[in-house]
Amino acid sequence: MPKLHCLRINYLLSVVTLLFLFFLSPLFSAAQMKTISGIVTDESGNPLPDITVTVQNTKTATVTNEKGRYTINAAIGAVLVFSATNTETASLVVGDQSEHNISLKQKITALNDVVVVAYGRQKKVNLVGSVATVNVDEKITGRPLPNISSGLSGLVPGLAVTQNTGMAGRNGAVLLIRGLGTSNNSNPLVVVDGMPDVDINRINVNDIETISVLKDATSASVYGSRAANGVILITTKSGKGMRKTSINFTSNMAIEVPTKGFQFMADYPRALTLEQRRSATNTLPANLLFKKGTIDQWMALGMIDPLRYPNTDWWDIIMRNGAFQNYNLSATGGNDKSNFFISAGMKDEQGLQINNNYNQYNARFNFDYKVRNNMNTGVKFNGNWSKFIYALEEGFTDPAPTNTAGFDMQYAIAGITPYDPETGYFGGVMAYGEDPQAYNPYMVYVNTLTRQTRQEANASMYWDWTPIKGLTATLDYGLNYYNQFSWNANMPAQAYNFQTKSFGSRVYVGPNAPIVNNTNTGYKTLMNARLNYHTIFKKNHDISALFLYSEEYWYDRFQGSSRNDRLFPTLHEIDAALTDIQGTGGNSSTEGLKSYIGRVNYTAFNKYLLEGNFRVDGSSKFVPGQQYGFFPSVAVGWRFTEENFLRPFLDKFLTTGKLRVSYGSLGNNSGIGRYEQRATLAANNYIIANSVTRGFVNTKLINKVLSWEATNVLDIGLELGFLRSRLTAEIDFYDRVTTGLVRPSDLSILLSGAFNAPRTNIGQVRNRGIEGNFSWRDKIGNINYGVSANVSYNKNLLEGWNEFIARGATSGGANIFLDMPWNFVYAYQAIGIAQTWADVYNATPQGAQPGDILRKDLNGDGRIDGNDQKAYPNIQRDRPTTYFGLNGYAAWKGIDIAFFLQGSAGRKDFWLNAFNNVNFSTARYAATWNHWYNPWSVENRDGAWPRLGGSGNNTVASTFWLDDMSYLRFKNLQVGYTIPKKLFGKTGINSLRIAGSAENLLTISSFRGLDPEKAGNNNNLYPINKGYSLVFQLGF
Amino acid sequence: MKKINFFSTFVIAILGCFIILQTSCRKNLLDQPPTTELSPDVFWKTEADATAGLMGLYASARPCWDRDYYFDGQAEFVRTRGISATAGNLRLGDAYQSSNTGGMFGPTNYGALFDNMYKYLYGVVNRANYVIFNVEKMQSEGTSASTPVLETIKGEAALLRGMAYFKLISMWGDVPYFTNVVYENSAVAQLARTPIGKVKDSIMADFAYAFDRLPVKASQLGRASKPAALALRGKLQLYWASWNKNGWPELEGFTPSAAAATAAFTAAAADFKSVINDYSLTLYLNGDPGTIDPPGKADNLPNYYYLFTPKANGNPEMIMVFTHGGTGTSQGEELMRDFSGRSHEGSQCWVSPRYEIADRYQLLSTGDFGPKLIPMNPTTNPNARTTLNSAVNPASYDNRDYRMKSTIQWDYEMSIGMASLQSTGFVPFIYQTWAGNVTINGVKYITYNTDGCNSGYVFRKFVRNYAGQGRSDGDYAWPVIRLADVYLMYAEATNEVSGPQTDAIDLVNKIRHRGNLPPLAATKIASKQAFFDAIEQERIVELIGEGQRSFDLRRWRAIERVWGPPGSPGLFRIDTWGAQPSRYFQNASDREYQQDYIFRIPPSERDKNPNLTQNIPWR
Repeated sequence: MPKLHCLRINYLLSVVTLLFLFFLSPLFSAAQMKTISGIVTDESGNPLPDITVTVQNTKTATVTNEKGRYTINAAIGAVLVFSATNTETASLVVGDQSEHNISLKQKITALNDVVVVAYGRQKKVNLVGSVATVNVDEKITGRPLPNISSGLSGLVPGLAVTQNTGMAGRNGAVLLIRGLGTSNNSNPLVVVDGMPDVDINRINVNDIETISVLKDATSASVYGSRAANGVILITTKSGKGMRKTSINFTSNMAIEVPTKGFQFMADYPRALTLEQRRSATNTLPANLLFKKGTIDQWMALGMIDPLRYPNTDWWDIIMRNGAFQNYNLSATGGNDKSNFFISAGMKDEQGLQINNNYNQYNARFNFDYKVRNNMNTGVKFNGNWSKFIYALEEGFTDPAPTNTAGFDMQYAIAGITPYDPETGYFGGVMAYGEDPQAYNPYMVYVNTLTRQTRQEANASMYWDWTPIKGLTATLDYGLNYYNQFSWNANMPAQAYNFQTKSFGSRVYVGPNAPIVNNTNTGYKTLMNARLNYHTIFKKNHDISALFLYSEEYWYDRFQGSSRNDRLFPTLHEIDAALTDIQGTGGNSSTEGLKSYIGRVNYTAFNKYLLEGNFRVDGSSKFVPGQQYGFFPSVAVGWRFTEENFLRPFLDKFLTTGKLRVSYGSLGNNSGIGRYEQRATLAANNYIIANSVTRGFVNTKLINKVLSWEATNVLDIGLELGFLRSRLTAEIDFYDRVTTGLVRPSDLSILLSGAFNAPRTNIGQVRNRGIEGNFSWRDKIGNINYGVSANVSYNKNLLEGWNEFIARGATSGGANIFLDMPWNFVYAYQAIGIAQTWADVYNATPQGAQPGDILRKDLNGDGRIDGNDQKAYPNIQRDRPTTYFGLNGYAAWKGIDIAFFLQGSAGRKDFWLNAFNNVNFSTARYAATWNHWYNPWSVENRDGAWPRLGGSGNNTVASTFWLDDMSYLRFKNLQVGYTIPKKLFGKTGINSLRIAGSAENLLTISSFRGLDPEKAGNNNNLYPINKGYSLVFQLGF
Repeated sequence: MKKINFFSTFVIAILGCFIILQTSCRKNLLDQPPTTELSPDVFWKTEADATAGLMGLYASARPCWDRDYYFDGQAEFVRTRGISATAGNLRLGDAYQSSNTGGMFGPTNYGALFDNMYKYLYGVVNRANYVIFNVEKMQSEGTSASTPVLETIKGEAALLRGMAYFKLISMWGDVPYFTNVVYENSAVAQLARTPIGKVKDSIMADFAYAFDRLPVKASQLGRASKPAALALRGKLQLYWASWNKNGWPELEGFTPSAAAATAAFTAAAADFKSVINDYSLTLYLNGDPGTIDPPGKADNLPNYYYLFTPKANGNPEMIMVFTHGGTGTSQGEELMRDFSGRSHEGSQCWVSPRYEIADRYQLLSTGDFGPKLIPMNPTTNPNARTTLNSAVNPASYDNRDYRMKSTIQWDYEMSIGMASLQSTGFVPFIYQTWAGNVTINGVKYITYNTDGCNSGYVFRKFVRNYAGQGRSDGDYAWPVIRLADVYLMYAEATNEVSGPQTDAIDLVNKIRHRGNLPPLAATKIASKQAFFDAIEQERIVELIGEGQRSFDLRRWRAIERVWGPPGSPGLFRIDTWGAQPSRYFQNASDREYQQDYIFRIPPSERDKNPNLTQNIPWR
């Protein structure tokens, strides 16, 4: 403890000293020198502020002012060095005159940047792997982004970002790098400050400095065991290189509305009329469920007695404007001994759905300290705390078949009064003949909420030592801890009939509703010991090597309990309930991973690049003998613009150019359960003499040779910088083949009733694609501007599978076949809607009547069956083949403007869900206005939909319902104004930027459903948000 | 001072690091033992282990039988509109699931939908093989000598294995047969089907083996006894006899033989006779009818009703059962969920009686069928509720077989509603007025609520009349075979061999007495056919909802008799109001009938195993 104390005091002292020196240093300049001044401009003659001017080999330095003017004392003959992060460094020799002007070339950062790679940083020019970087700047933090995963959309070629819902707390996007490589977990590995397995959605966006997306084998291979799906490296801010402590405050407030929503009909008599029409196709009028009198009565009395004859607009009741607020305060600084970054953030999201709220608080402290000249230490700490409230897993719906309310939104009929404040009762069905199971969503979204809190503490520390020049030993230790608690205590409620003034039979939540408590807790530890060596010999040979030993360990436990019969409905802790009916559950699991990693980089003459990597991983998931996987990779690069013999030809237009090729393999063990490879007996209890008796069964056949799934990646990349690197282009071709895909083995049906199919390494998936990133940056007069575009194309093919694949086979709901993409489109060919009986007779017999969809008899066998479906080899239902993004910005004086377009193409899916069903149930169906206007009828022959209640074939997956899911989205538009510093005078305020930002402003798509980005879903209704935000970014 | 401090810290750190690297941070990092599952190395040592192994087998076998009531949907008197089973969960009925659950339990077109049942029945076979193998190993290794406990365990395992194969052959005919423990897929991947006769002999052997080892009376409720082995062996022989008598043309290679039929009927009768006479078994409450309330009241229900509530658990009539546990055991049955409506703990009414069953209940006064009920729509006909023999007139249901009130509910019948484990009082059933308000004799009620009934009747059988258990928390011990069934099978077997016999007639009359019906009239026992019809009538009424009827129709080859021959108009199923919600076998092809008589061998397995042949109508 005293040691730590020492350290802190020392640190504080040094900060104070440094600050003191920093402010006083100009006063102690050498007096015998001459004072010179000048103006620094860019190539177009515009003044450049904030350029550091130093006298070479001295400590004398100054900075240019707003007008580019500097004043410094220097002797004649001394060399002045002009430098800044965004310009190329230049120098001039002090002459006789007192005015020394200079113009600086603007640096094009793309190729000169230092890029964060696994266990270190590398110059972008020397990279041989395929790495894309995103710098999290004010343009990103100015967007109303609930998390960084959704913020990555459209920024990185080859990274597919899919937003499936706008639900607060569940709005993390699905990330996929370079196509679906496995039918197991295909999420990229997220590494934050060296710690793998961090939840990307809980990171404070404001804390992030850069994000590197490692796409090929070489860049990712040091994370080999779990990098088969690529790696997303996130580096948080540190005070490194800072000279002055700066304090920043950011606030971001947004209102959110849906991009698009369903149009349910708030008109019960009309909905009942539709029920009649739908039933009329096969029911005699006398047997219709709803009588005309019922409908007429409702229509008349609905106008005067909304309590007893409601026409509820559910969307109006259960939706609201969303709100997003994010406030963040941070401070950063450093000196030659230590650096720090500290931040605290608060995020508050109110979803579009009532009672869907998410709050998160974040705190981060990053600190580095130079112990000795050759020794550093540091800690990083991040804590976050969240509170999440929601009704159903997907907000309005829940896909789990066990949740009987999960699919009920389609039964939210307009003829139910949501709630009557006077009596305190929730309404139920009232119309004669209506199904008493119709749904009151308001009751569910008010009374049956899950409340979840989660705390995470992620801490890591390191110590490095450079005993001899070039050799550094580092020890890292990290611990991620989480604790999650959720509880339910649904409020009892019963359906009330306001017409008869009595409770209906439907009990929404019984008076004995349980209290349910669930606790998930666990931790993950990481220990790395690494050696780095770097040397340059004979001037032109640069070698660096890395060796690393790593141990990772996971521990997770769950405990849950419940008790029925609360003492009082407002109480919600377990002890506040009777003990007669209770339930408990609990378990834990652990996993270990041991890795040896090596990497060698060799750069010769600054133009020939070579990198070799290997990683050996041992995982506790496999049986001894199969635990270790070896994943090597190699890459070469050639900076051909550095070749003298090419210079004369290229110099005029091509500033930089590099060709790189990498090949290697990456592993994945996510498809195997922690204890799956262990011979165990599972509990299967029985009842003997009226009490539970223990029973054990053997459910396992162990595949003793099961091992790692491997993905081999070939990447060929070309990086070019034209016209002094104002135009840059980066083009990559890749071929990713996953072999040894871990799959359940093809078990005989004689065994599968007793044993879980042991997994086996069979199956092969190939993803081949090309991606490009092009950007242009320049300056016209006072206007800085830039445009960058990225595009990627991926082709996915299933090449191996261990089971017989029959025609029409599916795996996990996805259509599969050899040499076809995962979940390709497989559809009947619709001819159109039959208008007349003649149309029906002219088509192949298929049980159709006028108003039904007619399908083609593709194989001409005179009947329509599964064999008449057509496969589309190039179109997937789940994901597009092509993604593109277009970004632009311009800045003039304090005004900046940025826009961002993003889109995708190559995906088609069926628009068939619970809410556009033409064969809806004959009672309790919440019809939409589409149901009123679209269905075919004799009076509406141009109807866009087939008739109501027609042939069951009308709702099968035919091209009639197949929509092109391509879209172009105006993702973000941002206009900001940075108030000139001088206006603040001595307030201490350094900078203030005020910006307005609009997210998901416009979507262009021919898709008829909710949103073309969402995954195909029969049920999910949660729209994607459109947000308008106001941002303040304040610096002290 | 400070320097030393840092330096020494550093040296210690490096040393520590070195030691860590040498020994590894975490001992056995790559060896993480499971926390809730048991290593087999420590198991199979004691009698308690063997018993626990057997219990695991029982628990795996139970879900292949305890929803057999769905099978009644394949016959004419019960509608199974869907199932409550949870996909992928064996205990919650996955054996009764297919990708197309809608058609599994309709009267026709179901034969291709039972791959899961096939799979899980083989699961039982594997589990049984595993228990027998390990117990024998315990005995041979001398760790545990041949004790009665271990012998009984082997007997029970053999009984369950026999039951699994019996169900397999009664649905698919020839099936692959194996009794060894399987360690890898290749051991069974290429198995061909064993001819039904051979499988039957092996099942006979298993039943005999079980019979030798089982106790006369089960030591505890939930375990098997000698009469179970004997009754099941009798039933197997009765089925074997039926196939030989009536033929099974859809099963290739099976040649019916009249001689084999007679021999099997005789042997079946002998087994049944032993069950009936040698173990002092009696019908529930000695077969007394008990008390009954008039239509519209349900304070007193006949004894037959209570036979299908947990009150009958452990009763000698229940020869072989699978037990269930109540609240909190995670081993409940879902009879209430499937047989009653929303008014009963939010139940779903997956199974309901068809209109046509009502006329099957005979009159107490004559002991024969009454005049046919007349469907009437009370919303259009003001006299519907009072017209004589109107299906919506409660009075039409008076003077009937007690088993009618015990089994079904018609308009204005009452049952105890329940919500949140509390009774909500009596709920009147009134067709098409779901959860409506009604005043009966001055008392306000909310009517029975269900969206699952389209006939005008719901079940009372299997629905508890007391609150306290959820719809999935039933603790009823499901009977696989019960004494009444054995009586009727005995009567059938002896009738086949030698026509109506006095002891057989007495047994049928005992069953009729349960419904308070008079003994069979002379005309009903005058001929072999007349007595067969009387036995069939009793099987329909007595065993409804117990999963027997569709198997009977198939072994009797009676589908054409019931629904009409191929190409005929088929039959409507109607409701008490006269609507015709469904029609079956309209202009049905020969192939459709054939496909109802034998099930389809799972094609996914045939894709992998070239030795596996397909049944004729499924080629």
